[in-house]
Amino acid sequence: MGRTSGQFRLKLNERQAALVLLTPFLAVYGVFLVYPFFKGFWISLHDWNLLAVAFNPDAKEFVGLRNYQRVMWGRDIEWGAFAQPFIQLFGLAVIGLAIFLRRVGRVSKVTAIAIGLAAALLFVLPGFHPGEGGRWYDRRFWPTVGNTLVFVGLTVPGVAITALILAAALNRETRAMGLLRTIFFVSQVLSVTVVTLIWQIMFSPRQGLIANITDLFGGSPIIWLTDERFAMAAIVITTVWWSLGIAMILFLAGLQDISRDLYEAAALDNASGVKAFWFITLPNLKRTITLVVVLQIILHFQVFGQSHLMTNGGPDDTTQVLVRYIYQSAFRDSELGRASAMAVFLFVIMGAFSVLQFVLGREEDA
Amino acid sequence: MKHVLITAAAAATIASGAMAQEVTLGRFFGACEDAGTDTKASVGEPCIIQSIINAASAEIDGVTVNTLPTDWGNYYDQIKAAYAGGTPPDVHVMHRHRIPEFAGLGALADLSDDLAAAGIDTSDWAPAALDAVSFNGGIYGVPMDFHANLWHVNMDLMAQAGLVENGQPVLPSSPEELLAHAQQVKEATGQDYLAADFAQFPIGVRLTLALMWQQDANIFDGDTATIDNDAARNAVTAITQLFDAGVANPQLNYADSQQAFLNGEAAILVNGTWVVDFYDAEAAKEEVALDNYYVADFPTLFDTGATWADSHMWAIPASLKANDAEGYAAALKVLAFINDHNIDWARTGHMAVRNSVLESDAYANLPHRDEYTGTAAIARDTPPSERYGAIQDVLNRELQAIWLTGKSVDMALADAEAEVQDLLDR
Repeated sequence: MGRTSGQFRLKLNERQAALVLLTPFLAVYGVFLVYPFFKGFWISLHDWNLLAVAFNPDAKEFVGLRNYQRVMWGRDIEWGAFAQPFIQLFGLAVIGLAIFLRRVGRVSKVTAIAIGLAAALLFVLPGFHPGEGGRWYDRRFWPTVGNTLVFVGLTVPGVAITALILAAALNRETRAMGLLRTIFFVSQVLSVTVVTLIWQIMFSPRQGLIANITDLFGGSPIIWLTDERFAMAAIVITTVWWSLGIAMILFLAGLQDISRDLYEAAALDNASGVKAFWFITLPNLKRTITLVVVLQIILHFQVFGQSHLMTNGGPDDTTQVLVRYIYQSAFRDSELGRASAMAVFLFVIMGAFSVLQFVLGREEDA
Repeated sequence: MKHVLITAAAAATIASGAMAQEVTLGRFFGACEDAGTDTKASVGEPCIIQSIINAASAEIDGVTVNTLPTDWGNYYDQIKAAYAGGTPPDVHVMHRHRIPEFAGLGALADLSDDLAAAGIDTSDWAPAALDAVSFNGGIYGVPMDFHANLWHVNMDLMAQAGLVENGQPVLPSSPEELLAHAQQVKEATGQDYLAADFAQFPIGVRLTLALMWQQDANIFDGDTATIDNDAARNAVTAITQLFDAGVANPQLNYADSQQAFLNGEAAILVNGTWVVDFYDAEAAKEEVALDNYYVADFPTLFDTGATWADSHMWAIPASLKANDAEGYAAALKVLAFINDHNIDWARTGHMAVRNSVLESDAYANLPHRDEYTGTAAIARDTPPSERYGAIQDVLNRELQAIWLTGKSVDMALADAEAEVQDLLDR
């Protein structure tokens, strides 16, 4: 290149150039993410009525951590190792398993610690319960957290496994497969309102496709959205259908990274089909699987629309999820401080999974 | 060149000054795409209200009305967020039960001194309507209707069960009779006696509340929740006995229960005044199973007549009155237009609020109007509270737990009382 064009060129060293290029991002990031986050935390320390403060900025009152206490704690709360024996014993068993796996060298130190910590939480947290005459200050918060966990616990494996199977089946360079890939991806681009509308019609006991099929076989239709046994399943099925696309594309990318040679070598050793999938595809996809699972966990903790639009959190709160509770507290009940405290709680959970993703990602780089 | 530009700019200013004042309007009731401006021809709540709004926009000189997109289910959340963000619509609809919350914070304009100048005669409002929009000595809105729960009746099914006398349905006067009638209908027709949305929107709550009021009880008194008591138990069991006997289905939501009634699968539908003209129009259609449609006052199963009721009203934000005299004047003109069209809104099935309309022949001649004249006298609601929405939600949740998930009545009522008490204590 000629020197003439560089006549007015600013001489920036690497550091300055980086700063200039980063500024737009940092500005947007600061204004739309960092500032609102700290503002949210600030609000969570106040008794803050949405409407009252809008009309009179002095109407808020600093209450310290009282919102957190009111949401998460109660009167005469006790801890017992057998308050919820199943979950707690399961937690203990997983701690033991983590130690064992580390001893025999099947998992790395970091993974063992991560699993161990998660299991320890499973042992400790469910142990809290109100003692004689005691009560939670907010009777709905922990059940809502529980519902959210159940939703995530069902949706994430559902999405990951279905997407993996689809990706493996569609990982061929033919025109039909390309078309099918597009079809399976299409649901991902729909908005939550459209998705929930489609599935509300599907689940309708009167005109729904599912009811018509059960009718065909002589069964009485399930009233999915208002039956406590099926309501959560209904929003999980909807969500799996909706979020397959991205996971499938990530898996396809991962699959195409696996060298053909491996499969050829395996075929010589008489391993093909399911065996090849188990011994070659899965181990080579480990990183992609971790990425998909953690991304999906973080995504689905924020579930809102499906519960809000399909079941209204019902019946009997069985599909009430954390973000919907935050929304109701903030906008229906105008209790912005309380809602912000719950939002900070949700942030901590999702933050923990982000850290986990980061740690696992680094570990495999090393 | 400079002169040309300045002249053009001045011309533009004058032109825009002469242009219509835009009034933004927020409402629920649902969407109607092609409502037109004929306020006499539209059918159903969404289209009737939109035709009135379109007519206001077309007929009021110097005012255009822009209806904002809002969603029924999240209406109040949207309105609150708009107020909190400082951009509420210039006029918006609301229920009387929300006045303590909104007016109590100073969100709504006190219209008392400006209504007469705008051509709205408050002395023509029924006393209960004036009461509905009054708060702490001020008038915070223009009332549009009284609405209440009714019993919508399929007369053919009732006749088959022998429950029609002198052209009128025979309705129960006690919980025992309710069950007996229900079984009569089941045996004679094979269909359910009663349908309602027990599964999603709070129609089941309103039914239960009415049965509590009929025993002179209420869900709270001052700052004390009063739900875990015999009155509530009686009210709930009056309904659950129908589910237990298999003569009503608790799992139908609003759309499904309505469809069941129109399909002739239920003799009675419990729903509000807002669907009378719609069901009347549906019953006239060849393909709809419901043919012989009748509307009845909510029957008295206990001591005192009572049915759930509320009022729709139109309000203006305090900020518009304080900061924008022209906008406020335009908004008042829109409210006056809606007030003038009270008879058109009453075509939905709602009860009018203006004496001059209530006494008119046009009103008396509306379809089915003479069948539920007793409703105005038994209209009730829960005591005013800033936490109305949250309290309704608690009741809806716990009652649904009873009919949908088999939670025991005692536990559900105890839980409901504890949670409502928490809300009252906050």
